[in-house]
Amino acid sequence: MAEAFLTAQELHKSFNEHKAVDGVSFTIYKGEIFGLLGPNGAGKTTTIRMLSTVLEPDSGDVTIGGYSVRRDANAVRSLIGFWPQELALYEELSAFDNLVFFGRMVGLDGKEARAQAAARLELLGLAQRAKGRVDKFSGGMKRRVNLAVSLMGHPELLFMDEPTVGIDPQSRNNIYDTIEGLRDKGMTILYTTHYMEEANRLCDRVAIMDGGRIIAMDTPRELRSQIGPPDQVTLEDVFLRLTGRSLRD
Amino acid sequence: MIRPLLVALLQVRIYIQDKGDLAFSLLLPIAIFALMYGAFGEMQFHGTAHVVNEDQGGAYSALFIEWLEEVDNLDVELLSTSKADARLDRADLLMVLYIPQGFSDRLASGEQAQLIFKQRGNGGDEGQIVASIVGGVADQMAQEFQVRGQVSEYLAGSGISQERIDITVQRLLENERESPAVVVKEETVGDSPDPVNEFLPGIITMFVLFAITLTARALVEERKKGTLERLLTTRLSVGQLFAGKFLVNFSRGFLQTLILLLLSYAVFQMFTPLSFMESLVVAIVFIAAVSALGLIIGSVARTEDQATWIAVFFTMSMVMLGGTFFEIPESGVLNVLSKISINTYANDAFRTIIADGGSLADAGLQMGVMAGVAVVGLVLGRVIFKVMPGGR
Repeated sequence: MAEAFLTAQELHKSFNEHKAVDGVSFTIYKGEIFGLLGPNGAGKTTTIRMLSTVLEPDSGDVTIGGYSVRRDANAVRSLIGFWPQELALYEELSAFDNLVFFGRMVGLDGKEARAQAAARLELLGLAQRAKGRVDKFSGGMKRRVNLAVSLMGHPELLFMDEPTVGIDPQSRNNIYDTIEGLRDKGMTILYTTHYMEEANRLCDRVAIMDGGRIIAMDTPRELRSQIGPPDQVTLEDVFLRLTGRSLRD
Repeated sequence: MIRPLLVALLQVRIYIQDKGDLAFSLLLPIAIFALMYGAFGEMQFHGTAHVVNEDQGGAYSALFIEWLEEVDNLDVELLSTSKADARLDRADLLMVLYIPQGFSDRLASGEQAQLIFKQRGNGGDEGQIVASIVGGVADQMAQEFQVRGQVSEYLAGSGISQERIDITVQRLLENERESPAVVVKEETVGDSPDPVNEFLPGIITMFVLFAITLTARALVEERKKGTLERLLTTRLSVGQLFAGKFLVNFSRGFLQTLILLLLSYAVFQMFTPLSFMESLVVAIVFIAAVSALGLIIGSVARTEDQATWIAVFFTMSMVMLGGTFFEIPESGVLNVLSKISINTYANDAFRTIIADGGSLADAGLQMGVMAGVAVVGLVLGRVIFKVMPGGR
């Protein structure tokens, strides 16, 4: 039995009268890539924000690496990395400076932060542009810097919120390779995306959310097999079957 | 403790990346000072008498103009009638002195001669002062003519030639002008109320308060960039984030105020070394209070526009109620309302030290209020940040 690394129990979060997350529970095992899928407004981002200690749940709890996000948020923060939906970077500064700053924020000393920054930029093919201002970078390069920042401090669990939106195929594939490389090194990843083929390729298991609830959770193959021969149907077919074809805001 | 410093240093690095912002923020206090200098630096009157001399070739009109030109701090600009009328028409000039044709002949013949002022409205402040100076010169000329006439009349038939009488009277009048029988002596019994001393406190507090917009936007910009969310997943606590933002905004405000005070010290020589240091202490406490208030606005606002407008509204309210633009009465509703303005306390503290020659101890109450606002502001900002939607 794989070791549970993240356990979410009955998470609830409302904004005014709107229930953004309504009783979400799931477990992510150590070393797996767990996909969180859902249409717009399904509650994915709110869930990730609660898991990553940005938001406090109204009720329920999350345990990460044995620490509760409610009671030991600081200990949780020392285990996680966060790749937000937006390019969360100081674009006026260089890629290297961004990495060093966030490295210091996750608890590294100056020397270690600089060493890790250089290593991350090398890993993501940005070593040549390390001193370049981020606002001069292409969209794909910025995404890679965004990923590099989230890897500072060797997090054991990485939250990735739609990391490949709006980038070119080359950068996207570089990110896929990096994510697979991270999994091979034992990192646990929670991944949200709208691209079903991406989830199918990367995720060991996926949960499909709609209306603030998890409506299905299994391996991509098992989910496909629920509506037909798994080699003939796609994850997108499953997604549309479960969430419907009506447009979402 | 290192993380707030790192947040502040990061902000400084971003700040100095934008050379325009940097130059503007450093030049702003210099520009404010230049405005102050323009307004208060040359308080002595210096005006221009605009004169139309229609008495061309007249000896006494020429003499009158010559006397006007000898008056200190008064320039004389001679104009033609048409040009003067045109400039008066378009309000380019507010007052013109006309010396009418025949002015000298009338004086020579012992008749009353007129000078005419044409003015728009009341002629303006400068015009009124110039008119007063011209009136004084005209009185002097009239008195001398009177003396000449009376002496000539008294000595008529005495056998003394008119030429000799004129020369003698002229010499006596010149002696009188050089050594008048009555002189006005000025004795200084204390410092004059220097307008700079009166206005500088209001200018400093207004200037510092305007920076509240930058403080308020600092948090909102982090939120907009997405870096706030990312920072909240690191080991940086919200308290440390607040401390970092507070520190950088405080430092910027302090640097700008320091430039303003140093320039005032150097040019207006309005401080002693002690009062300068005491003014700096007042500035430090006030900037701390303003930075804390800026963080409250930053915690409330969701967008940069919201932050800007809340800050502008707050700034204008505080400046108006703080007595920067007009004096707050000793009693009444406005006086009560002024107590809610942080500027009131800052202005009072600065005035106590700069204008009244008091010490920090004399401004103890005001300093206490401002320090209280700084502490409560930081705590309140933190609480608001937590309770607002999406806060932590």
